[in-house]
Amino acid sequence: MKVLKNRLFLLLLRLVVGGVFIWAAVTKIADPLSFAQDVRNYRLVGQSLSFVTAIILPWVELVAGIFLVIGIFPRSSALVISGLLVFFIILVAVTMLRGIDVECGCFGTFSRKADLGLILEDLLWLVMSLVLLFSPENDFCLLKKNS
Amino acid sequence: MNLKQILRDGETWKGIFIILLLSIFLGTVGNLSLIKRFLRGEFGQAFISREEYPGLVFITLPEVEELWHNRTAVVVDSRSVSEFKRGHIPGAISIPLEEVRNEASGLADRIPLACPLVIYCEGGDCLTSLNLARLLHRQGFRDLRIFSGGWEEWLAAGLPVEKEEKEDEGS
Repeated sequence: MKVLKNRLFLLLLRLVVGGVFIWAAVTKIADPLSFAQDVRNYRLVGQSLSFVTAIILPWVELVAGIFLVIGIFPRSSALVISGLLVFFIILVAVTMLRGIDVECGCFGTFSRKADLGLILEDLLWLVMSLVLLFSPENDFCLLKKNS
Repeated sequence: MNLKQILRDGETWKGIFIILLLSIFLGTVGNLSLIKRFLRGEFGQAFISREEYPGLVFITLPEVEELWHNRTAVVVDSRSVSEFKRGHIPGAISIPLEEVRNEASGLADRIPLACPLVIYCEGGDCLTSLNLARLLHRQGFRDLRIFSGGWEEWLAAGLPVEKEEKEDEGS
């Protein structure tokens, strides 16, 4: 599809996907303890690993989001974001299969239930992120293109 | 570009390395005081800040037994209605987490906000008692005691049990 190679369309995608990750990260960074409890509520890891995740993961989202928006290692950022989204989708699916009723912890106080709707939403973000990952080149970058 | 090309590109890995390194650095520096508190064991049972949730404590079975025996606290069961009906601590009231989340519990109308509440769930890895305690704190309750051992520990100790439905003899 021609639109997927359009420079302005790709820039718009970068701003949207990066922007959402920046917003999601900021809400978690503002309240690490609350996010740590959200991670713990998934009952996948213990107290220590939940804490480490809450301390590091939001910053990965923030740095990758900022890098994608301003164009520093945009392909690496798209790969990190795609990887995170694949992980989130598997996590929510497994949590649903285990019958655990949990808040997703996605956007701090704007958090919602980890359900099928969330999986579909994450899939949409994943598609956008993959378009960026496989795009032939990235323009409007602060740093040199990594192609 | 295909995935093979992307993964073989050294620039991709350099970018990922920088993103991760920067995140670990910022996350550590930005949360130094929290990390110190974690290492001191402050969040061993739950990620609850004492400043944010004053009056929320974790208690053990002997403490629960004493409070229950002397009737000095209201015992709250945070499990589902069906689990409650199958068996609960005698005198406990059922406040399933889902009900309070929808703000339909009306607990604040029935019980004074200053009244001590002992909250429990299934036990083991269950978290509904903690999440219920946080919600009740937001509703104004200020003396919240979480019994982490929960229903499993109460049962295992051979303490009295109250049931609201007869067990199906056929099953």
